[in-house]
Parts: sequence; C-alpha cells; structure tokens
Amino acid sequence: MAVIGNNGAGKSTLLNTIAGTLPVDAGELRLADHDVTHKPVAYRSRWLSRVFQDPKMGTAGELSVAENLTLAEQHTGSMSLRGFRHKGQTTAYRALLQPLNMGLEDRLTTQVKYLSGGQRQALSLLMATLSHPELLLLDEHTAALDPQTSRQVMALTQKIVAENHLTTLMITHKMSDALTYGNRLVMVQDGQIKLDVRGEEKQRIRQEDLLGLFAD
Amino acid sequence: MLITSIGQGLLWAPLVIGVFLTFRILDIPDLTTEGSFPLGAAVTVSAMIHGQSAIVASLLGFLAGCLAGWVTGMLDTKLKMPSLLAGILTMTGLYSVNMHVMGKSNVPLLDQQVLTSYLPATWSLDFQTIVVGLGVTALVMASLIWLFRTRLGLSLMATGNNAAMSAANGIYTDRMVILGYMVSNGCIALSGALIAQSNGFADIGMGIGTIVIGLASVLVGEIFLRGRQIWLRLTAMVLGAVIYRYLLTVAMGLGFPVDDLKILSAGILVIVICLPLLRNKLQTKQQLKRYLKQIGVDQHATTSSLKRQAPTEGLLSRNGK
Repeated sequence: MAVIGNNGAGKSTLLNTIAGTLPVDAGELRLADHDVTHKPVAYRSRWLSRVFQDPKMGTAGELSVAENLTLAEQHTGSMSLRGFRHKGQTTAYRALLQPLNMGLEDRLTTQVKYLSGGQRQALSLLMATLSHPELLLLDEHTAALDPQTSRQVMALTQKIVAENHLTTLMITHKMSDALTYGNRLVMVQDGQIKLDVRGEEKQRIRQEDLLGLFAD
Repeated sequence: MLITSIGQGLLWAPLVIGVFLTFRILDIPDLTTEGSFPLGAAVTVSAMIHGQSAIVASLLGFLAGCLAGWVTGMLDTKLKMPSLLAGILTMTGLYSVNMHVMGKSNVPLLDQQVLTSYLPATWSLDFQTIVVGLGVTALVMASLIWLFRTRLGLSLMATGNNAAMSAANGIYTDRMVILGYMVSNGCIALSGALIAQSNGFADIGMGIGTIVIGLASVLVGEIFLRGRQIWLRLTAMVLGAVIYRYLLTVAMGLGFPVDDLKILSAGILVIVICLPLLRNKLQTKQQLKRYLKQIGVDQHATTSSLKRQAPTEGLLSRNGK
C-alpha cells in the first residue's frame, strides 16, 4: 500500500501513530488482532518494523553490521543474559547479506557508521524484515539517497516484500513509485483520505490524474 | 610516588568505569556522581561502625549507589527531565541523605577492619592498597565484560547509540537507561567505599569535583588506549585513573597546596579536552597544505576559504572518535 500526499497532509502523522511515536487522541489501533493503541514502540515491534527516511536512524552507527543484525533478529529477549554471539552466526549473516549485492557480507565486523547511505539503508531494510513483521512501515525510505541508489533500494524492497509476503505501508513523495509499486494507493490531504484505489483500478490511474487531484 | 599513584588510581578506577558507562555507553553526562560517591562512602563507613564486615559494608555501598542511579534514571526517563537536571537534583538531594546516614559531616573509622586488613600485615600499605584495588577493579571489569557479551549488554549499547532504532527493534529503552544509571552509580559508590576505607573516614564534601575527576580520567585513558573491544576500553579507564592520580601526585610534589587540587583537576580536564582538538586542527592544516602543494594551487588564495571546512572532531561526542 502506497501513501502519497503533499507536505502537511498527514502522511507522517499516520505513520508515526501506527509506529507509536505519536500518542493517539481518539480511536483504536489494532495490529494482528492485538490492541496496541496505548502500547510503547518496543511492544509494537513484535508485529511491526519500520525503515526510517534517514539512513542513520535505522541502524546503530557505533555497532558493527553483525551486532545490528543480532538486534533485529529477535524483537523479544532484549533483556536476556545469554551471550549474543553464537556459532554459525557469521555464515548465516553472510548468507543474508549476499543477496543485497552491496559487499556487506565481507564487512560484518565493520562499524555501521563507516558504511555509505545506500548500504546503511539496505541494511535497515534487511533488519526490518528479518523478524517477519505483520506490517512493514516505509517512511520515504529512499528520499535521502541519490537517484541510482534510490532505484536500487526500491528494487530490493520490492524483492524482499514479495519474497516474504509482507504487508507494507509505504509513504512516498515520488508519484511514479507510488504508481509502480504496491496494489493499493491512498492519497491523503488535510488529514483526510482523498483517494483510495486498489487492484486493477489502481493500474488505470496515471500520474496526470494524481496531479489533477493535488491541484484541487 | 608512582606506586602510591597506582594504588590510589586502582581505588578510583571503579568511579572512572562508572562515569564511562553513562558518558560513553549511554551518552549521558551524569552529575549524580557527586552525590553517589560520598553516598557509597557514608553507607560503608556507617555500616562498618554498626558492626558489619568490610566486605558486606562495601557491597551495601554499591547497592546504595545503584539506588541513587535508579532515582536519576526515573527522573530522566519517566518524568522526562533533561539528564543534566536529573543528575543535579539527585546530587542535591543526596547531600541531605548523606548527612542523615553519617549523622555528622565527618565520620572516622575507629579500629574497624577495612578491606586491606584481610591481607597479611607484613605487606606494605601501598602493596595492600594495590592488591585490594586490583581485586575490586578486576571483579568490576570481569562483570562488565561478561555483561557486554550478553544480549542485555548489546541492548544497552544500542540504546545509548540510537534510542529510536533500539525501540523499533523491541528494546525497552527506558529500562536500559535506568539500568545503565544504576550500574554506573553502583560502581561510583563502590569507589567511594574504597576511598573512605583507604582514608579512614567518610566526609560530606568528598564528592565535590568527582565528576571532573571521572571525566578527565576517561579522556586521559582514551588518549593512551583506543579500541572498540569493551575489555580494551575498560582497561583504558583503569589506566586513565592511574595516570590521573599520578599527575595529581606530581603536582602536589611540586608544592601545590591541597586546596588548589580542584582547580588543577579542572585545568587538567580542559587540557585533555583541548589537546586532541588542537592536534586534529594541526593535522588537517598540514594535510591541506600537502594537498594544495600536490595540486599546485596558490596556498594563500585558498586557505582562508578552506580553513573553515577543516573538520575538528568533537571529542565529547561519541561519534567523534
């Protein structure tokens, strides 16, 4: 599902409300049949993952690639007193990173702060999907990348989402992305849903139609 | 003189490790130090006067410090106070607590057995101090090295580095911050307990300036030993504590009166903060000069505009290493 809308329309508010960084005034929020309306971010993470717009936000820069992956692997047990390194970890992580085609598999012990923006965002994406969430939130996650890397990360997103059959909510400013990816398109304006199309109906929509709606 | 510094430095090492935990791992400058250090001393000395053994009393001191850290942690996370203010509030409140624990502003130990009394009396005092300091410091270091190999330790490090990301990955960051404050202030209070036993008294004013001592030792240690592994970073803290003690002993040997030691401490902190900054600036300038020479650009025409871009790494920020 792709969400578009002009600045101040309420896209980010919607996303932050679902993620739990913004408190809810009224209404109820259910994730996979669990009421999470007033639950903290960490609790929601059992069903929810998020990729931030800023590549620096989704990863811990001081920690290594492997340590970041460990954090993402299981969203429970963060208080556990068991060691976090275990046998076979390196091989498993290399296998996970290989398909990204970014050379990350050879940099498991590198601190994430030394990676490029594209590498960090690809890692964030992988981390967000590692726990097989019920819902994946993408917050303009290619907006801070150069056009080529942006395309690369978008293609990667498509691949991972399709492979894992993930329900995904993507916020974007790029109308072409909103039209190309996903099977449902929602347009928000002034806090209201202005357009909600899915399936074949979405296929028929063109960029000009959307621009016309924006102008209203 | 060096031997005495090593002994004293080892007694101060838990404090430096405590400051390191909040300052470097959690990225919080925690002023609770100034209150939890004398709290550890007060609780330990009082417990010993009431007949507890030195080991039990020191443990009580450690736990009292954890409690102080818990208070600051709650103020910081649950009441959403800025961490500096939270530390100042706890530190101020602890003054009264310490007075109540001690009953008066200075409590001497009489003939109670201190930790060094467990060692053979034939050993010299300096050697006894080193053995006790080394034992306690090794115990603290081993526990922390173990902690940072567990998932909990990883969560702690992640929280200090990127709280938003940690929460998104299922870490209850408030709990982690509170835990960090508790362990940190426990170590600091333990150091207070050791110093009180070494001095033979607990004093209400012994906490003044401890945060400066702690920060300066952290920075001195990092100048001499750098690395990413936790055991190396902790060793750097112990080294920092010893070197810092040595610097103070040398200064005293030069005839500085004891009352001037605080301003000397502050001066040392300023110097160790500035030194790496200056060094970086100098290096960048030299690199720039070399680069300009290489590409054959007229230096005077460009330096003034380029100088501003010279990146000076912030020593006080975690990312500036």
